[in-house]
Amino acid sequence: MAADILLLTIITLPLVGSAIIGLFGKNLPKIIVGTIATSMVAGSFLCALLIFMNLPQSQIVHLFSVINLEGLKLSANFQIDALSIWMTLIITGIGSLIHLFSIGYMSHDEGFYKFFAYLNLFIFSMLLLVLGSNYFVLFFGWEGVGMCSYLLIGFHFSDLEKGTANSVAARKAFIMNRIGDVGLLFALFMLLGTFGTLEYSEIANKLTEIKSSGVSLPLVAIVGITLCLFLAATGKSAQIPLFTWLPDAMAGPTPVSALIHAATMVTAGIYLVVRSNFLFELAPFTKDVILYIGLATSLVAAFMAMRQNDIKKVLAYSTVSQLGLMFVALGMGAYTVALFHVTTHAFFKALLFLGSGSVIHAMSDEQDIRKMGGLAKKIPTTHLTFLIGTLAIAGFPFLSGFYSKDEILAHALIHNPVIYGVLMVAVTLTAIYMFRLYFLVFHGKFRGGQETESHIHESGISMTLPLIVLAILSVFGGILNLPGIFLHKGAHWFNNYLNGNTVGLDKVKAHHLEPNQAIMLMVVASIIALSVMTWAYVNYAKRGNIAKADEDLNVWERLSNSKLYIDEIYNFLFVKPLEWISNFVYHYFDVMILKNGILSFASLIEKTGNLSRKWQSGFLSSYLFWMVLGIVGLISFYILKIQF
Amino acid sequence: MILLVLPFVFALAAFLIPEKLVKYFGLVAALSSLAVALGHLAYFNPEHLVYIFNPNKAFPMGLSFKMGYDGLSLTMVLLVNSIVSIILLANYRKELAENKLFTSLVFFMQAGLLGVFLAQDGMLFYTFWEITLIPIFLILYWFGKQDNNSVLLKFFIYTLLGSLGMLLSFIFLGTSVQSFAYNDLISSGLFIPAKIACWISCGFLLAFAIKIPLFPFHTWQPSTYTTAPMAGTMLLSALMLKMALFGMIKWMIPLTFTGIQDIKWLIITLGSIGIVYGAVIAIKQKDIKTLFAYASISHVGLIAAGIILFTQLSLESAIIQIINHSIVAVGLFFAADIIESRTGKRNIYELGGIAKLAPRFGFWFAAMTFVSVSVPFTAGFIGEFLLIKELFVAHWFVGIIASTTLVLGAVYMLRAYQLSMFGAPKMTQFEDLKWNEILVFALLTVSAIVIGISPQCIMNFVKPSIEHINELMVGGLNFIK
Repeated sequence: MAADILLLTIITLPLVGSAIIGLFGKNLPKIIVGTIATSMVAGSFLCALLIFMNLPQSQIVHLFSVINLEGLKLSANFQIDALSIWMTLIITGIGSLIHLFSIGYMSHDEGFYKFFAYLNLFIFSMLLLVLGSNYFVLFFGWEGVGMCSYLLIGFHFSDLEKGTANSVAARKAFIMNRIGDVGLLFALFMLLGTFGTLEYSEIANKLTEIKSSGVSLPLVAIVGITLCLFLAATGKSAQIPLFTWLPDAMAGPTPVSALIHAATMVTAGIYLVVRSNFLFELAPFTKDVILYIGLATSLVAAFMAMRQNDIKKVLAYSTVSQLGLMFVALGMGAYTVALFHVTTHAFFKALLFLGSGSVIHAMSDEQDIRKMGGLAKKIPTTHLTFLIGTLAIAGFPFLSGFYSKDEILAHALIHNPVIYGVLMVAVTLTAIYMFRLYFLVFHGKFRGGQETESHIHESGISMTLPLIVLAILSVFGGILNLPGIFLHKGAHWFNNYLNGNTVGLDKVKAHHLEPNQAIMLMVVASIIALSVMTWAYVNYAKRGNIAKADEDLNVWERLSNSKLYIDEIYNFLFVKPLEWISNFVYHYFDVMILKNGILSFASLIEKTGNLSRKWQSGFLSSYLFWMVLGIVGLISFYILKIQF
Repeated sequence: MILLVLPFVFALAAFLIPEKLVKYFGLVAALSSLAVALGHLAYFNPEHLVYIFNPNKAFPMGLSFKMGYDGLSLTMVLLVNSIVSIILLANYRKELAENKLFTSLVFFMQAGLLGVFLAQDGMLFYTFWEITLIPIFLILYWFGKQDNNSVLLKFFIYTLLGSLGMLLSFIFLGTSVQSFAYNDLISSGLFIPAKIACWISCGFLLAFAIKIPLFPFHTWQPSTYTTAPMAGTMLLSALMLKMALFGMIKWMIPLTFTGIQDIKWLIITLGSIGIVYGAVIAIKQKDIKTLFAYASISHVGLIAAGIILFTQLSLESAIIQIINHSIVAVGLFFAADIIESRTGKRNIYELGGIAKLAPRFGFWFAAMTFVSVSVPFTAGFIGEFLLIKELFVAHWFVGIIASTTLVLGAVYMLRAYQLSMFGAPKMTQFEDLKWNEILVFALLTVSAIVIGISPQCIMNFVKPSIEHINELMVGGLNFIK
């Protein structure tokens, strides 16, 4: 089949699935609903795989034009190139595994069909985001995933205990994303103003044209555009200052956290920057901003993850921190490296989230790790796969996370040793909180109630199969981009693949370390991972230290546990003033001044009417009085006039 | 001509129909007038102006009585006829639907609105503009909340006062040109010195600003919306205020183009203030109807600011946004009325958990909420995107102010939806939607989506008329030079 038909199939399948399930799903048996949804995404994956097998040169498929005016043409165009197809593979591949997992996980839920309709709709929006060949289609997808994320975070809105909290979390996510979206909107306007088009390839061509013609580049505009694009990225990818929605988004069902808030949607910001690499390369200032924001986020989020006690919250902060790492890579211009980490992170973070879902499922919806412990023997498959995920994220030698993190660290070392040092702190913290989580959940004694303990069971095949597949990927994912020291041929496959036909990426110079330095880095990273693991084992598993109750925390633990009070600070700085202004303006300006002002104007007219009415008293004497007064007045006026 | 006369006939015929059949009559009549409009559409060529009434006689005082439509007017005519049908459909199960007087007044209103959009003569435009005030006032007076006299009086006098400004402007224009015909007015309007033209446009502005309503002329609106019966609120917000936006595009700006430059930034400023002001106030409102009223102020502020830029793109996107606003207004006030009539409450803090009790209502209200916050694939997305873009091009700061509607809109709409629909149910039962209610929501949502995916079809339709206005003006300007 021709690539363009395949491409359209990829996009349409999830939309069709969503429509079928949304319209008829209510009356269909759950297993059929689940099968339809999963097979639609899997079908997209297969199509993407077919395109990937013999990837053509970059190709644009024109579907229809949305707006076609003089001076403004916005079209629904889609693009096949290495980057878009790779993202599609991640989205549909991980997506179909998570769909499969959800069949088991959501089997007891009333809104089963709705869940799958939303999930398919999300995949559709996400595919629009990555497959569009211009910023306009990307914006459609960008807002679309935000909407699906809203629907799915607040999925259990009618829950008696947590219903309100769930819907508040959903709203928070939507609004914070909207703030980022405004950034994207302005980037689009400025792009239109500067280049007159929103197509990626046309903008890149115009830039090369300008460069070759010797005219000076519109650098100020480019800095503005890139900053706005990055603002959008901070919203979607949960970076400082817009990161606080992601931990709250864990209110959604666990498969949603795995799919949207770990593997796909939150990486949209990274995709956006990689896609716009030709712009960011011209704006060193913005790249520095990205670098430092990413660095700060990775450190702050890792710190916050240290003393969280909700299994999903730990993973959420870990996601924020890992996304920060990716932005550090972007800030250094290492686009393919960032995307490599996106890939491996999608593997192991989806694995960890699904694993936590399996744990929560086994624990009868308990999420507090203080009430878990010793689960290793009771749910062996989940335990083993979770262990692999933990090792991968902590950078255990030769697992996928080891390679992708190592690449980022290597670039940092070349760029600036201080950044390398800070990153090492973040990486160490990652290892510490992940092993803490792992040992507290799976080792030691069970700390929950007996009732819960009796219910603990391993999940069914539809849930364990995705775990196993993801575990295998997490182990071997590093093969995609092996460093040069291991191989002479075939190394850096992923780099070369992406550089092959993605606009702009071939012009970015790749940096590689000297073999000795590279080995040193790996050794240091391995030593840290191993020693943290041993320490955590001794501390949590051997000595049986458990997470403290909230009251017993010391100062730094309290700060970590309460997320540095960022939510409270935002509340104080933004939410409260806005509410206060709203009330104030309404009561004191709208009602008191405007409304009453007009009313008093009306009553003024009434009063003057009353006043003049008194003149018409009907008494002859009073009329005579006024008449005489008038005559006297007139005469004196004329006398005075003659005088002067 | 039948296009305009038909609703008048229906208005009278409503009295002759037996009480039991009135609601069927209303629906059938509204649909048949829509069919007539669609018939006109079928033979319509956007390049031409079609006269439906064109007496080639000289009347005293320069009156011409010309009526006709171009793409712009026909779009508005179609909007009026479809929204009236939808309003009657929404009203179908209510007590009012069986009221002869009410049905008659709705058609009276429709006729007046059509007259406004079809008028090709200044005096005719003004006359129909004022005629619409009669039925809407009576609807509000007879069928609204009992103790609303002071509210109504404010609304009536306020709008009447505004129209006075327009009347003066028209009289001045008509006497100096010696004709009230649109074509004469537009080509001669450019000869008026800028200073005088500015005063004339201020006269128009007074009328339009009150009806739109622009900040700070909006105080009649929230209280009127909350005391009006559902159909009255819908007529007001979905159709009546569109007369003013249409009037800006077709009458005010072209007729006084030389003077408009001086008040352009005033209107943009008022519009931008309105965007933020309405949205900020909506954030903390408890009464769901008041909340939607302030949200509406925010939305129309954006449209008015876009129109005054008077670029090809801003006008076309303003039309999209006008249609979108009608859809949103009908949908949201319908939802608010469903809530009020079934629970007797409008305070969102006293509501909650409705989505669980009435899942179908939960879904369709959510769909309208998303249409209102302009998610992709809805008309509002395209409209807001293009309008904010044009404002951004005019001045980046205005663009930034206008874009706050995206964030604040999400804040107040999601808050309203969440507090009323989510959480634990605060009532024991809530009757789910009936077929006519579902149909209303579905029609509204589907049309928002269709326009959101292919806005081009409406733009193509409106484009020649806007170009025509521009041509007339440019021709005049060249003549002066």
